[in-house]
Amino acid sequence: MAGYLIRRILLGWLTLLLITMVVFALVRFMPGSPLDTDPAMMNPDKMPSAEDLERIKKAYGLDKPVHEAYWDWLKGLAIGDLGISFNEKKPVADVIGSRVWATLLLTVPSLVIAYLLAIPIGLWSTVRSGKLDERIAGVSLYMLYAIPSFIAALFLQLLFAVKLSDTAWELPLMGMHHSDYAEMGLIDQTWDLLQHMLLPVICFTYVSLAYYSRFIKANMEEVIRQDYIRTARAKGLGQMRIILHHAFRNTLIPFVTLLGLSLPSLLGGAIILEQVFNWPGMGQLYFRSIGTRDYPVIMGLTLSLSVLTLLGQLFADILYAFVDPRITYK
Amino acid sequence: MTDNNQQPAATKEKRSPGFWVLAWRRFRRRKLSMLALAVVMCLSAIAVFSPMIAGTKPVVCKYKGNIYFPCLAYFNADWENPIFHKDRFRKRYPENLRKKDPESWAIWPIVFQDPFRPVRDGEWQDQDAAGQWVDRPGNPYHGGLPSELNLFGTYKRGVDVFASMVHGTRIALLVGFVSTGIAAFIGITLGAIAGYMGGAIDMVISRIIELVMCIPGIVLILALIAFIDKANIWIMMAILGLTSWTGMARLTRAEFLKLKQSEFVAAAQSIGAGPLRIMFRHILPNALAPVMVPIVFGIAAAIKVEAGLSLLGFGAPPPNPSWGTVLNAGTSNYTEWWQIVFPGIAIFITILAYNLIGEGVQEATDPRLADPKD
Repeated sequence: MAGYLIRRILLGWLTLLLITMVVFALVRFMPGSPLDTDPAMMNPDKMPSAEDLERIKKAYGLDKPVHEAYWDWLKGLAIGDLGISFNEKKPVADVIGSRVWATLLLTVPSLVIAYLLAIPIGLWSTVRSGKLDERIAGVSLYMLYAIPSFIAALFLQLLFAVKLSDTAWELPLMGMHHSDYAEMGLIDQTWDLLQHMLLPVICFTYVSLAYYSRFIKANMEEVIRQDYIRTARAKGLGQMRIILHHAFRNTLIPFVTLLGLSLPSLLGGAIILEQVFNWPGMGQLYFRSIGTRDYPVIMGLTLSLSVLTLLGQLFADILYAFVDPRITYK
Repeated sequence: MTDNNQQPAATKEKRSPGFWVLAWRRFRRRKLSMLALAVVMCLSAIAVFSPMIAGTKPVVCKYKGNIYFPCLAYFNADWENPIFHKDRFRKRYPENLRKKDPESWAIWPIVFQDPFRPVRDGEWQDQDAAGQWVDRPGNPYHGGLPSELNLFGTYKRGVDVFASMVHGTRIALLVGFVSTGIAAFIGITLGAIAGYMGGAIDMVISRIIELVMCIPGIVLILALIAFIDKANIWIMMAILGLTSWTGMARLTRAEFLKLKQSEFVAAAQSIGAGPLRIMFRHILPNALAPVMVPIVFGIAAAIKVEAGLSLLGFGAPPPNPSWGTVLNAGTSNYTEWWQIVFPGIAIFITILAYNLIGEGVQEATDPRLADPKD
C-alpha cells in the first residue's frame, strides 16, 4: 500500500504543476489587463507617459514573457511567497487569509450539520422504508435536491428579509455584519453573526443533506438484503443493533470516500452564493480578482483550491484503504 | 400415452428485442419518469412554439398579396422579411399592417407581449363593451405587478416577464442539450481512446482528465468567458460543454477497459478489424448504457449553471431572454418578487423533471435489475 500511496502523491504533484501552468497561461492570455482597472490609469486628465507605463508594467511584472513570469512565480512559491495582490497591494497570503475564515464560517458548519443530520435521516428512511411517512420525507428530500442553491437563497431572502421585515422573524438580507458591528458587545456580536449566517448556511446545507441521506439510504437498502443481515435477524437481534452495529458499517466505504471528496467544497463551493449574499469570503474574492485581472490572487486561490481537491482525493483514497479491511489484511 | 417416436415441437426461442427496447419498456413502467418525460416534452413544445405563444409579430400574415411568417424572426433576426423594413414597419406590426394594406390579415400569437422590449401604449387595440376600438395600455401596466396584461409582471423598465420566460425556455433547453451534447462527444471520445489504447496514451489522457477536473468549474468558465469579446450564446454553450465532460470520460474509460477483454473484441481483432472500427462500431454501443445517466443529469446541471451565470451577469448576453437574466433583474429590487418567484419555479420544475428522468434511466439501464419478465 505504501508504494501505491507514494505513486499517487508523486502523480498528484505532477498534476498540481500542470494545473498551475494551465491556469497561469489561461489567466495571462485573457484579454484585458490589471492596468485597465487600476484607478491611477483611469484618470483621463493625467494619462501616463510611455515611461510611466513601462514602470507600472514592470511593477506588475507584466513586461516579462509568460514562461519567465511563470518561473518567477514558481520560484516565489518555493520560498512560500505567493506574490503581492494588484488590487490591495498586500501579500496574497494575507489577502486570502483574511477571507478564508469568512468562507470557512459558512462551509464548515454546513458540512458538519449535513453529515450529522444525514446519517440519522438515512438510517431512519431505511427502517421506515415504504411506509407513508418515509415516502413523504423521501419525496420532499428529492424535491429539495432539485432546487438549485441560489434559487433557494433568493426565495429565502425574499421571505425572511423582505416579506417578514419588521417582524420578529426578520433576517438580514446580505453581508456578514450589521453596520454597527464594531460597537456591539460580544453577545450582541455573536447574535448578529448568527443571524447573518443562518440563511447562507441553510442554503449550503440542504443540497448536501438531501444527497447524502439518499446516498446512505440507497447503500443501506443494498446491505440489508445481504445474507448476514438475514442471519442476524434469524438470531433474534433487535432492529437497532442490526442497523447500527452490523449494517451501517458496511455502507461506510462509499460514504467515507464522499467525505474526502467534499473537502474542496469547503473553500470552493461558494462563488455564486457568496455573491447573492454579499458574503466577504473566498468566492467573492475569486470573482472580483478575475474581473480585475489580479493575477497573483487568482493564482493563489486556484493553487489552494487545486491543492485541496488533490488532497481530498488522496484523503478519500487513504480513508477507503483504511475502512476496507480487505485491503489492510493483504 | 405419449408417442415416444414423435419429435417434440421445436421450441422457437423468441428473438430478444435488444437492450434499448427492453430498457425503454422498464422506463415506461415508472409513472414518475413518464410524467417527467411529459413535462420535458411540454417544455420543448413551448420552446419550439414560443413565437406563437408570446410575441408582437404575427404568426402568419397576408400583406400586399403575399403570405409571410414574421414570427420566425424570433428564432433568427436575419429571417425577418426585408419587405417589412422597406415599408418602414419598425417592428410595429398591428397598426402598420392595417394602415399600409387594408386587405391584410394576420394571425397573432396568443399573448401580445415582447421578450425584448416594453410594449407601448396603443400598439394593440381591444374592442371594448361598446364595440369601439380602444388602445391597449403599454408596459409597465399596473406598476409592473402581475396583471391580466402582464401575466408574470414586468422587469427592466417594462419588458414582460411571461414573454421573456417563454422565449427563455428555448435558451434553457438549447443550452442543456447542446452543451451536454458537446461534453458527451468530448468525454466519450477521450474515454474510449484512453480505455481502449491503454499504455502511454491512457496515462496522458487520464492526466488531462484529472487536470480539468481539479480546476474549479466556475473558475474555468469565468476564465474562458473572459476570452470572448463578442459574447454569443453558442460560445457560452461550447464553454459549458468544454468544462463538464470529465465525468463521462472517466465512466467511458472504465467501461472500455472492461469491455476490451470481451470475446467479441477478440473476434473482431482476429479478423483484422482496425482499432477505430472496434472502438466505435463494436465496443461503443455496449458501453453507452452507463453514460446515459450522467448525460441526463448533465443537462440539468447545464441549465442550473447557465441560470447561475446569468444571475451573476455572465450568462446569455442581452438581448437574449434567459430565466437567469430575469432573476438578475430581481436581485436589484427584492420588492418586485415576481421577477424571482416565476423563473425560480420554472428552473425548479425543469431540473426536477430531468432528475426524475435521469433516475428512471438509471433504473432502466441497470443490468442488475433485469427483469426475467422482459
